[in-house]
Amino acid sequence: MNKQSVPVRLEKVTKIFKDPKTKTDVAAVNEADFEIAPGELVTLLGPSGCGKTTTLRMIGGFELPTRGRIVIGGEDVTFLPPNGRATATVFQSYGLFPHLSVFDNVAYGLRVRKVEKGELKRRVDEALALVGLSELAGRAPSRLSGGQQQRVALARSLVVEPKVLLLDEPLSNLDALLREQMRVEIRRIQKALGITAVYVTHDRVEAMSLSDRVIVMKNGVIRQVGSPSRIYEDPDSKFVAGFVGKVAFFPVTLEGEDGGAFVCSLSGKKVRAARRSPGVRSGDAAFLMARPESLRLGAPGAGVADGTVSANVYLGSSVESFVSTEYGEILVQIDDPAEKKVWPEGSRVSISFNEALIRVLPGGDD
Amino acid sequence: MFTKKKIIAFLAALAVFLAADLWMFSALKGSFAKTLGESQRQLATAVASSAPAEAEAVPAWLQAAGTSYPGVGLLYLRGLPGIDAEVAEYGRDEALVALYREAAASPGFAKGIESASYLETYLSTESYQVGATRARLLFAPVYNETRDMATGLVIVALDDSKLASFAGLADSLAIVAFALFALAFGVATFSRDPLTGYAILGLFGIAAAFVAYPLFQALKLTFLRDGRFSLSVWGQVLGNKQYLQALWGSVKLGCLTATYSTVIGFLFAFAVSRTTIKGKKLLTALATMPVISPPFSLTLSIILLFGNNGLVTKRLLNLEGFSIYGLGGLSLVQTISMFPIAFLTLSGVLQAIDSTLEEASLDLNASRWGTFKRVTMPLAAPGLLSAWLLVFTNSLADFANPLLLAGSYRVLSVESYIEVTGMNRLANGSALSILLLLPTLTAFFIQRSWVSKRSFVVVTGKPSGRLSDLASPGVRRALAGFIILVSVFIVSLYGTIVAGCFVKNWGIDYSFTLSNIGEALTRGKDALVSTLVLAGVATPIAGILSMIAAVLVVRKKFPGKRLLEALVMTPFAIPGTLVGISYILAFNQPPILLVGTGAILVICYVVRELPVGLEGGVATLRQIDPSIEEAASDLGADQATIFRTVVLPLIRPAFISSMSYTFVRSMTAVSAIIFLISARWYHITIQIYNFSENIRFGLASVLSTTLIVIVLAVFGLMRLLVRQSENLEKTVSVQ
Ligand SMILES: Nc1ncnc2c1ncn2[C@@H]1O[C@H](COP(=O)(O)OP(=O)(O)OP(=O)(O)O)[C@@H](O)[C@H]1O
Ligand SMILES: [Mg+2]
Repeated sequence: MNKQSVPVRLEKVTKIFKDPKTKTDVAAVNEADFEIAPGELVTLLGPSGCGKTTTLRMIGGFELPTRGRIVIGGEDVTFLPPNGRATATVFQSYGLFPHLSVFDNVAYGLRVRKVEKGELKRRVDEALALVGLSELAGRAPSRLSGGQQQRVALARSLVVEPKVLLLDEPLSNLDALLREQMRVEIRRIQKALGITAVYVTHDRVEAMSLSDRVIVMKNGVIRQVGSPSRIYEDPDSKFVAGFVGKVAFFPVTLEGEDGGAFVCSLSGKKVRAARRSPGVRSGDAAFLMARPESLRLGAPGAGVADGTVSANVYLGSSVESFVSTEYGEILVQIDDPAEKKVWPEGSRVSISFNEALIRVLPGGDD
Repeated sequence: MFTKKKIIAFLAALAVFLAADLWMFSALKGSFAKTLGESQRQLATAVASSAPAEAEAVPAWLQAAGTSYPGVGLLYLRGLPGIDAEVAEYGRDEALVALYREAAASPGFAKGIESASYLETYLSTESYQVGATRARLLFAPVYNETRDMATGLVIVALDDSKLASFAGLADSLAIVAFALFALAFGVATFSRDPLTGYAILGLFGIAAAFVAYPLFQALKLTFLRDGRFSLSVWGQVLGNKQYLQALWGSVKLGCLTATYSTVIGFLFAFAVSRTTIKGKKLLTALATMPVISPPFSLTLSIILLFGNNGLVTKRLLNLEGFSIYGLGGLSLVQTISMFPIAFLTLSGVLQAIDSTLEEASLDLNASRWGTFKRVTMPLAAPGLLSAWLLVFTNSLADFANPLLLAGSYRVLSVESYIEVTGMNRLANGSALSILLLLPTLTAFFIQRSWVSKRSFVVVTGKPSGRLSDLASPGVRRALAGFIILVSVFIVSLYGTIVAGCFVKNWGIDYSFTLSNIGEALTRGKDALVSTLVLAGVATPIAGILSMIAAVLVVRKKFPGKRLLEALVMTPFAIPGTLVGISYILAFNQPPILLVGTGAILVICYVVRELPVGLEGGVATLRQIDPSIEEAASDLGADQATIFRTVVLPLIRPAFISSMSYTFVRSMTAVSAIIFLISARWYHITIQIYNFSENIRFGLASVLSTTLIVIVLAVFGLMRLLVRQSENLEKTVSVQ
């Protein structure tokens, strides 16, 4: 970790907008309260309109919180304008200066800081080399491809040596292949420089593969904070479980604990689950959450839920079988299809659980 | 932002400033009162000491004192009341005598009489109502010969209103100073972005001082009579047949001009965007020419051609009893100068109509005429009304053309000018130009509420770039013939002006001469120079201000934004005559004495051209991704740096065109500035008007031509500069 790295803390930050049409108040961000460790990369993940951009813009100083405090590296920056903060933002639309060349775009922040000429050139060249754009220094931004523009924006932000890097869906304008490359690139640079970073995305794959921790938001409220694996394996709500990966839910009642496992009844059948969300008590109506890889297919009657295979999708290393059951269409993932049995479409099957991987979630719709 | 500490510090600073402010201004008031009182007292004492002891001499003395002391009241009491048995009253002024009889026993009078008996002068502390004025009374003794005893006293009434008005002025200055300090200090303390705060305050200040305040003064004047609220001005204006005739005249002229212009404008626009006619570029250039040509120039050439001694009317046709002056000539010249507005509006509208709609109709076997009638026209209808209204408003506000060409026909704009400059009836002039606002506002609201809602229907897609050809060969030929006719007429009008420069004495002696040029340039040099200087000063100010205003309107959130925008836009909607009249009303006395200076002209140009620049800036800025400016801020630039290094370069096209429009419109202004010019700061257009009025058409032609050349040069330069940044524009609006 870089010794310059700083933590970022949001204390009960709320942002209320007036809806321009109805004139009613809308809480775009509601009591957001979290801390980002120095050098950590955290993603804000959530569906469109959940307040990710607003949160990021408040950290960057473009939007003033209605309530709450924002602290960067121990300093309360809530009311500081963007040019008074050690943050640098990579905008979704890049915001490159169209009237300046690539070099001058990157040099802008240094010129504002009155950095001496020789050093300026050295640092700009260094930044351009870091993102692999040294040859294009003289071009106008309008004559660059999307990925190149994106890298100019990144270099422009990095060259001023910010303590916190803010990225708002930086890859959303790129095609799939380039997106994957840039994702790796961003992660590499962020780790190399040890910058604390906040990354906004609505793409769960991007969030999972990139971040140290993920913050999942919905309707302005933070629903869960945790490492990608925790968020994936141990979500605390139906919403988070569904948002971060493929999943099936079974309505159950939690009956009690038995030797470290939680016993539920699913339509009268006893099911054991190794994990439980803290909000669920004995006797509660709950959901049993099962990822495709925690389910297995067997002969009818062998498992907990019977159904018919409605479709098989071959993905090379695995097969996804869709099974229609009384609980809806359930997705089951079969790894190593060469060794394991793949049930043909139309056959009657029974689904059983991998006890260690399934989790009891609170009832209710999210 | 509002933290407890800051609020306390702010309030403390305000308290300190308030104390200093009050102390300063009360000291100022005190010393003014003292000097004023002292000089009045000296004068009164001198008058008293010259009072004669003998009764016979008193009338003569009163007469003399009346001329040497023109105060509000003088009363001589021979003998001291209450001491001498016999007291004779010699009053110059009835009101003071009446006051004395009424209040002789009051404490103030008693004190005065007592002081006089001790040979002292006394100035009453309270003020009394003497006739129409408030006054304080000075009691001065009249001595006997040995000057050791009072034989009577003189009471002099000293006008209090000067002091009161000074006190009022000082108080309001104190309040203004405090308010300014509180605002500026408040912004500095609480704003996250003080510079923006100052820009907002500054713009509000400008709008308040140079838009709201003068208009308020003009409005106020129409509701006053002898300093009191009264409807008599309006009663007089609305009850006067002549004025109502002028209102009707303006409206009638507006309707005619708007109708002719819309028809011609539409035919031109149709030819350009719906037919395969040739020479469209030239056509467009020709049709836009009159909109930028200086005032008086087209009128001038109409007079040269069709006037009483006109080339066509007299020389070629020798018509008897024909007069171009009046409604006919006016609507002709206005149509020529304003149909370009309709043309520009309508070509925008026609180009925005998706031609695939028309193609679909043609595909469905509708005839061209059927397509035109059932598809094109309904879609263009709101645009037609919009163009009509625009021309209508312009015609109503037009001042220059009627000034030369109205003859005995009355229109409001000229009528209000005559009221002010000819009759010196400012109140009536204001009322008339406010009256002119009525039809303008009506047009504006129709536009807002009806047309703009419909126009959404019109723009059903992006301009497709392709043309649907809606004219059959016969129609095309007829259209081309008409357009050529109009174009030739326009060209010959400009040709006439140029020809006018080289003709000895138009109408009488058509021999060639170069002497006009020399004479016009010598006599017009001062006016030309001062016009250039003032326009040159106004141009960058208006350019920068309008861009700053655009940034505030588009990018910043602040309370009162709507109000500020409305105030800045107001001068665009109101007739120039109203602006001119309101400026003389507001700025002809201290503390803001601007009438007669060059500054008032510059301010007038800036304020009148701000709206156009603002509109342009707003439109351009809306195209620019706000994250570009946010990125600059994020990289450490403050608001001033962002404006200089990012905003200005990006809205350069709007900036340049705002500046060139300001320059050209300032060079060609008439209606507002005709009230504001002075011998020192004259204006070239008024010079042209004077030459024309004195039938020196040759000189007027030379100056008009000069002005046309300047205007064309400026627009040429602008096009050159803007084209350079066109590439930029494209990249800016990509996102
Ligand atoms: N300036 C604004 N004025 C009013 N409402 C706003 C404003 N900015 C955002 N909102 C509202 O706040 C909510 C959150 O917006 P935000 O842009 O933060 O969402 P987001 O999570 O970034 O969504 P997306 O994935 O679509 O970018 C939305 O409902 C949006 O309509
Ligand atoms: Mg967003």
